[in-house]
Amino acid sequence: MMSSPRNLEYEQLWLNAHTDTRAAVYTFSSCITLADLNADGDFKLVVADLGTGSTNVKLKVYKGTSLHSETALLDVPTGVTSFYMDLNEPRMPAIAVASGSNIYIYKNMRPYFKFSLPSMDINPLEKDLWMQVRDEQIEHGVFIELLNNLRAEIGFSQMSTQSQHLLTLDSSNTSSFVQQNCKFPVKRQTVVTCMTTLKKALAEETAVSCLVVGTESSEILVLDPEAFTILEKIKLSDEDSTTLAVPAVLSACGLHAVEFRIVAACRDGSLRLARRGWTETKTLVQLPAQPVAMTISPDNASITIALMNQTLQCYSKKGKLQWMINLPAAACALCPVPLPHQSATLVAVSLNGGLLQLYNGRQLVDVIKAPQSVSGLVFGRFGQEENALIMFTVDGSLLVKILKRTAHFNLNGGGNTASVAPGAAQQIKLQIPKKTRLFLDQTMRERDNCVMMHRTFQRDLFQLRVDVARACVKALQSCNNPVSLEGAEPLKLSAQVLGLGPLFKMVISLQNISASSMIQGLGILFHFDDKMYSMDKPFINVPLLVPGLEYPFETMIRNISELALSDQVRVLVVKDGQSQPVLAAIINMPVCDLLGMV
Amino acid sequence: MDSARTEYSNGIPARSVPKSRQDSTKAPELQAVEGRNWLLHRHYSRKEFGICKILVQEELERTRGKHEYANYIQGLILRHEGKIQESLECFQICHSLNQRNVDNIKQVARSLFLLGLHNVALEAYLEAQQVSKTPDWDIFHNLGECWLRLGEHGKAKEALRQAVQLGRHERSYIALANMYKMEGEMQAAIDIYKAAVELFFLRASPDSAQLATSLGLLYLQEGKYQHALEKLGGALARDPQCAQALLAAGAMMQNHSDYDVALSKYKIAAQSWPESPALWNNVGMCFYGKKKFVASLSCLKRAHYLSPLDWDILFNLGLVHMATQQYASAFHFLSAAINLKPAHAGTFLLLAITLRHLEDPDNATEAFKQASFLAPLDVSVPLNFAVFLESQGDLEGASLQLVRFQDLAQVTPQISSELLQTSSQLSKSLNSRLLSDTSSKASATGTDANDKSHIEVEAQVRVRNHPIDSSPESEPRNNLADDEV
Repeated sequence: MMSSPRNLEYEQLWLNAHTDTRAAVYTFSSCITLADLNADGDFKLVVADLGTGSTNVKLKVYKGTSLHSETALLDVPTGVTSFYMDLNEPRMPAIAVASGSNIYIYKNMRPYFKFSLPSMDINPLEKDLWMQVRDEQIEHGVFIELLNNLRAEIGFSQMSTQSQHLLTLDSSNTSSFVQQNCKFPVKRQTVVTCMTTLKKALAEETAVSCLVVGTESSEILVLDPEAFTILEKIKLSDEDSTTLAVPAVLSACGLHAVEFRIVAACRDGSLRLARRGWTETKTLVQLPAQPVAMTISPDNASITIALMNQTLQCYSKKGKLQWMINLPAAACALCPVPLPHQSATLVAVSLNGGLLQLYNGRQLVDVIKAPQSVSGLVFGRFGQEENALIMFTVDGSLLVKILKRTAHFNLNGGGNTASVAPGAAQQIKLQIPKKTRLFLDQTMRERDNCVMMHRTFQRDLFQLRVDVARACVKALQSCNNPVSLEGAEPLKLSAQVLGLGPLFKMVISLQNISASSMIQGLGILFHFDDKMYSMDKPFINVPLLVPGLEYPFETMIRNISELALSDQVRVLVVKDGQSQPVLAAIINMPVCDLLGMV
Repeated sequence: MDSARTEYSNGIPARSVPKSRQDSTKAPELQAVEGRNWLLHRHYSRKEFGICKILVQEELERTRGKHEYANYIQGLILRHEGKIQESLECFQICHSLNQRNVDNIKQVARSLFLLGLHNVALEAYLEAQQVSKTPDWDIFHNLGECWLRLGEHGKAKEALRQAVQLGRHERSYIALANMYKMEGEMQAAIDIYKAAVELFFLRASPDSAQLATSLGLLYLQEGKYQHALEKLGGALARDPQCAQALLAAGAMMQNHSDYDVALSKYKIAAQSWPESPALWNNVGMCFYGKKKFVASLSCLKRAHYLSPLDWDILFNLGLVHMATQQYASAFHFLSAAINLKPAHAGTFLLLAITLRHLEDPDNATEAFKQASFLAPLDVSVPLNFAVFLESQGDLEGASLQLVRFQDLAQVTPQISSELLQTSSQLSKSLNSRLLSDTSSKASATGTDANDKSHIEVEAQVRVRNHPIDSSPESEPRNNLADDEV
């Protein structure tokens, strides 16, 4: 898309600070955060590594370019974020790791608190059943049958975790599972799908923030940072709605105590907004495709969102589409790049294939090439450096780029991309094939002799038509066609000659193509030059032919000529007591292999 | 990596069971079934289908196929890969797992629709409509599409109208407008497009240029050239590369004999649409207009190569060959055009003139007769016929045709001055020849006039026929169908 010299110019804005191709970190943008963990002004990179996707899950801390510490995690992390939870000095941020139904809070990289999502309502009948099985009032078999009935009624996803697990087990393991679990109260817990933070009362960088959590049960919870009580509980879907709007990406801006906006891009393709005091969200817009990543501008609360249909779209805070651009490849991740010195906030979009594009509004201002698709990226303060871009690729490499202090993005050059296009179009030449001298000569010849040419052509055309018609009539008269439709014997003949010679095998197949009548009393006769060929069975008796079936007849034919010549063999299908053949075919025999004759 | 995963996915997470055995007072930690839905969604939305499929497989093994969302994602991926039947099965499992989710029913219906089972899909959408408590534009839109394909236009229109009211979605507008177009209600279609363009154009939504172009083409069909040009210009301002709008605008310029401007439009369009027969046909006719016959032939032959059964192109090829006096070639192209479209008088007229030059008066007469039979009100046919008959010496026949021409000329509103001039010349020479049959001088001047008149009359035929407005329209329709899948 862009010419190569332009790319070089782009690259010069960034310094390659660090590349670690063997970091082997499997992560997403939501699981990366930059934090001043020790309150010493040296920002660390905290990243949750999903490991294999289920095991070897770790929380890693990078100090500068080296791995500082590693903490094992119990479950696959959904999101990692750093936030200030109190006003204590020194100002040390806490790390929140959401995984499964829990949020683990780390302070000074030590486990500090675990918050579990509240249990959800359980169907009273289901609760009763578990009570009964605990008190051994009903048998296991009956219990499971009743649970299955309940499942059909309320749906699998509405059941408690225990019941769900029980119903997916083999029948041999159920009784032990019931015994283990029946002693404990049935629980139905949802899981965290995404997490973000929201400043509580002050907008400063180190001010106390609340955690904002989106759950699988399509709710948004705002948590108090100190007491971990639920400050707000906002429902994403209406009570009577039949689809669940599960949040896929969350973004928040504003202050919890004053006014805030939380925007959720949901899996059903809706973009929903929640504000202070609302218990339900409002649908801003129905997106045309699944959301991939989103950011909300702190200045005017406009929403920039990358979608699955290879577009980047921007919506106003009221949900009006401001602009959209097509991306050259599918988007993987997105992060805001605030540039205070240019008073602008760019958006970095990572694309499938390794391209990273930076947009100021709808205008492309920079392109960075990574060796692989960037799976997670974050921009911010890292170490002592103000403007660092941290990228984790899909194959696990870690790349750190630093924005040069002198770097200045050309933010006003948007007009020229549009004006270049028509200018370039003027220089485009139509690819019209050139005509040769010969073509022109022929044109001249036709111009001079067009009457004669036309007449010759018409005469030859008629001649051709006459010849074709004659040949057709002749073939019909001599029955020299492989399909006979006339008379009482509708037959189809096909012949095959196998072998290299001098001995060939000839396979004649006959098919009765009539609808229902049988054909009998036929024979196959071969007519050939006896100086050239000799044949095992020059006459084959054909049995009764049943309609539809194909009957193969084989015979061997030997080339006995001294010379390496080939000849024609005529196949005639004859009927008893009839002088004219039913049908006939001419087989051009192949030239036989000379070596075989010696 | 894979082996590590399978070790995990044998039923319950491995660590929870031993824990509960060691300490029976503590409840076993059971992982929620939906625990990794977010991960599935993230990989799916990033189009990382390979890893997504592995994860889906793990989840399905863990829950023995009872994982609703994993089945759902699998269905979506399979559909993306074109395995519609298999995707249908996945969505049916989803539906059996959770019958209250409208999305599942909608996806089942969508797969059925893509399989061409519109009847069954319709039933599924109706079911979805019942289950869904709030009206959903998507369901209405798809109901409309189903009914359209089942031939129930009235119901389809009703459903699409509701979809438009509910969702204000471009797709519904386009479908509804197409529906009206199909039924020949051009004004209604124009109104729909107008509303859509007003809604979407300022928002710079993805298909706004497309919408404006469609509206422009409709105006063009209706003959409202000023409106059409306005809309096409708007579309080009939004998307200067929009080939469809470029082609239509170029054709309009070409109609006004502004060949250089038209060519500059076609040049840009050719970049994105190099294989459009209509485009190359129009380029060829531009060159013809500029009297560059060799270039014209090259372009037309390319158009003919791209679309061999398009009679417009064959007609134009015949015309250009006539202009270069290659009558033998012209005859072939014209007869091919007639084979494809036997009811077009202009082709017969050109064929007749060609045959005259090929010195085949019998067939030429037949062709003239056929042309005047097909277009009894066309003024150019009797005039050409008269000229031909006069050159054959059939003076009475010629004057008969000339009278026909004069009768028609009186009722035809805008008649070209060239035709009138030719006719007056012809009548003059006819009169003189009728008076003095033996005068060889008079007949010589007569043929002179005839030769001139032929070229002029042919030129008049050309202007009426060359730009193909129908082809640029029919092609975008195909594009839309592709997008939908």
